[in-house]
Amino acid sequence: MNEEELAKDLGPLAALTIGVGTMIGAGIFVLPGDAVTTAGSLAVAAFVVGGGIALLTALSASELGTAMPKSGGAYFYVNHALGPLFGSIAGWANWLGLAFASAFYMVGFGEYIQLIVGVSGAVSLGPVSLNVATLIALAGGAFFVAVNYIGAKETGTLQNVIVIILVAILAVFTLVGGLQADLSNLPANEGYGPMLTATGFIFVSYLGFVQITSVAEEIKEPGKNLPRAVIGSVVLVTGIYALVLFVMSASLEPGFIAGIGPDEIAVVEVADILLGPIGAVAMLFGGLLATASSANASILASSRINFAMGRDRIITPNLNEIHPRFATPYRSIAITGVLILAFILGGDLVGGDAILTLSGAASFLHLVIYGLLNIALIVMRVVDPAEYEPDFRVPLYPFTPILGAISSFALIAYIEPSVRLFGTAIIGASVLWYVLYARTRATKHGILSQYIQSRDEDLPASVVGAADAVAPTGSDGPTIMVALSNPRTESALITLASALAKHEGGRVLATHIVTVPDQTALETAAQHREELDANSDTLLTDAQSDAEAFDVPIETRTILSHRGFEEVFDAARTHDADTVVMGYGGAQFAGGRAERTLDELTHHLPCDFLVLDGERLDLSDVLVPTAGGPSSDLSAEVARALRDSVGVDVSLLHVADAGEQDAGREFLADWAAGHQLADADLLVETGDVETAIERIGDEYSLVIVGATERGLLSRVIRGSLAYETIEALDTPVLLTERPSPRSLWQRLFGQR
Amino acid sequence: MEPSADTDLLAHVLLPVAHEEDALATATALEPYQPNHVTALHVVEKGSGVPDKTPVEQSEDVAEESYAAVRTVFPDADDHTVYARDVVSAIFDAAEEVDASAIAYRSRGGNRLLQFLSGDRSLKLVTQASVPVIALPREDQEQ
Repeated sequence: MNEEELAKDLGPLAALTIGVGTMIGAGIFVLPGDAVTTAGSLAVAAFVVGGGIALLTALSASELGTAMPKSGGAYFYVNHALGPLFGSIAGWANWLGLAFASAFYMVGFGEYIQLIVGVSGAVSLGPVSLNVATLIALAGGAFFVAVNYIGAKETGTLQNVIVIILVAILAVFTLVGGLQADLSNLPANEGYGPMLTATGFIFVSYLGFVQITSVAEEIKEPGKNLPRAVIGSVVLVTGIYALVLFVMSASLEPGFIAGIGPDEIAVVEVADILLGPIGAVAMLFGGLLATASSANASILASSRINFAMGRDRIITPNLNEIHPRFATPYRSIAITGVLILAFILGGDLVGGDAILTLSGAASFLHLVIYGLLNIALIVMRVVDPAEYEPDFRVPLYPFTPILGAISSFALIAYIEPSVRLFGTAIIGASVLWYVLYARTRATKHGILSQYIQSRDEDLPASVVGAADAVAPTGSDGPTIMVALSNPRTESALITLASALAKHEGGRVLATHIVTVPDQTALETAAQHREELDANSDTLLTDAQSDAEAFDVPIETRTILSHRGFEEVFDAARTHDADTVVMGYGGAQFAGGRAERTLDELTHHLPCDFLVLDGERLDLSDVLVPTAGGPSSDLSAEVARALRDSVGVDVSLLHVADAGEQDAGREFLADWAAGHQLADADLLVETGDVETAIERIGDEYSLVIVGATERGLLSRVIRGSLAYETIEALDTPVLLTERPSPRSLWQRLFGQR
Repeated sequence: MEPSADTDLLAHVLLPVAHEEDALATATALEPYQPNHVTALHVVEKGSGVPDKTPVEQSEDVAEESYAAVRTVFPDADDHTVYARDVVSAIFDAAEEVDASAIAYRSRGGNRLLQFLSGDRSLKLVTQASVPVIALPREDQEQ
């Protein structure tokens, strides 16, 4: 077994119970009373229609899940197929939708406890008065958030047992009730409008199946087990719900459910009459288990969505930090917890039926996601990227996903108008979030926009324009890593890096590598951590504000290490940097033990290197001496970036052999044109290269020198090459070195 | 084979690490004793039947970061990742698999409540081991 196989420990039953356990929750234990009151005899149909819509989406989710077993589920597929604009909508809708659903489960939980304890009414706390159920819901919500924060391990067996108990309770209920059913007891048919209204608020009972796809990478044989679990769980709960509703409306005289008081729960009252007190107790117990397991599963699921959103930079990945002791994504769970408690409180304070408000909001947001999920499937099928190879395919494509998308969006129309308005505001806010925050940071283009851009000649300009207009700008751009060590050079290095990042549409990664001498144990260093942290903080905060002046995204990081220069290489590799910007002083400080490996290291540069000698930059004009070669290509790129984003004047210098000035002039003109620097001043000199650079360079604010000899950087670092130009010039010098193009062998088998 | 290889406690030390910071602290605590060979071990806690606390992808990132941290102290350290529900048994199994001469660990400290909540493993680790277990000293900055 390979490692990937070992990570998979969810069998078919476990996968099924995750779906069923999340879905059978407050929905069936709390809402049937309202459903029957609203839809009359069509309450059964309301649940079946909800199940049908869920099933259409479940088919699409199965196909996407087997093709892309990635953490994040529905959000991931939408973001992947439709891009980060829709990804932002789906991510926020999914996250907040789960928080609303959890708040709803907890209020249901509160009502159950309230019934058991027998306290009801409202409690006034200062100016506000809260229902007892709300207070219990708040306590319960806080408890389950804490459980997830600490990451207490419930076993898979417990999860299975809970689901089996729930199914058993509901089965006995339907069996006994079914024997007493009489069709003449069915309440009046209230018509299709009210039925769909009921479907709108009970849809919250079908929110669990997508959670199975978000743990797809943990499921054994996902190609087979994932569709079975997703589709199976929807079919199973739809059947259970339909039977329970049928029994409730047909086994007791008409009007019984309508007559149930506001402090009573319909399923419990019906069970009391059908099965006696034992039935009522079993129902109460079931209700508690169901609401608790649904809430618990939803809190965990929302942290998966946060993880996936952070991975795509739609939210800050800092949210996914893992707790050092509990090994849980504690920040994400804490924020979700705060949201849940706020929603519970808000649901009560806003007035009206808190249960219906919360379930309506959860349904609304999930319907949006399900609609987008179906569209995502259609996009994947139409574009059909090479890596898209689902093990399961939706039957009757394209009708199934089209019907799935239409029915999901259409059902939104039947949700309570005020809830609809609120839900629309959330969607609007996610779009704003994308425009104002995520667009410059998101790292991923959707399959759809790639497809549109690849066919921009066949498609109408307005379509291509629209796709470009919403495309993320943080993506694909290079990462410019800055290795900071000296506060005096910070501003110059960050300015350079920001100018580059701005030009290339990339981002800046500011690292503070704290080099600890070998003699000092890292632990001792860690004891001075506070002091270090303070320095590091100041340095990185300065970096942040310098970069923000350029309006480029920046991330910061402190790295504690014995190795100075090697660590820069390591960090560049780890963070996939495209360019490293560092100070000359930092480069020279290499330390004895690294020397042996330096040659080897610097002959295999992980990316472009820019080394600045100079502390202050006052950019007005730059001089680029060139004789061709890959590193002078890099110098040209840097000069271009400075010209376009800072507005400096660029001069090019070529030192030709005496008598060959004309050839030199021609070379330089060609070179300038070839590097889009045709507007630069061209200077051709003769004589010694370094003397020429020294003489002319003094008049410029920066000289950019490409390392013409391979390994030049390594010699500078070791100090074995006295780089006279750098030493002699007062003008800051930027030394550039670009790794030689990798051979095919290296590309196939990596750098080593 | 040299006879000392079998009897030397520090011939091949298995170093279970939880995350980057823990890995750095644990490796640094072991450094003064100059072990011959070190294998860093990260156990990804599985739910077996319920979803894990963190996505697999994230767990694997944590493992990689931890190994990198160990290598800042022991550049030649090997790494070993296992997936298990029972972390302590997984450590013992791994010790057998990589043929470790000892397991070195550093208690995460904390008061009894914290230890209880996060599932303290020290006791089980020292009482049920099949190879010698070295408890590394803790140097807390704050008391």
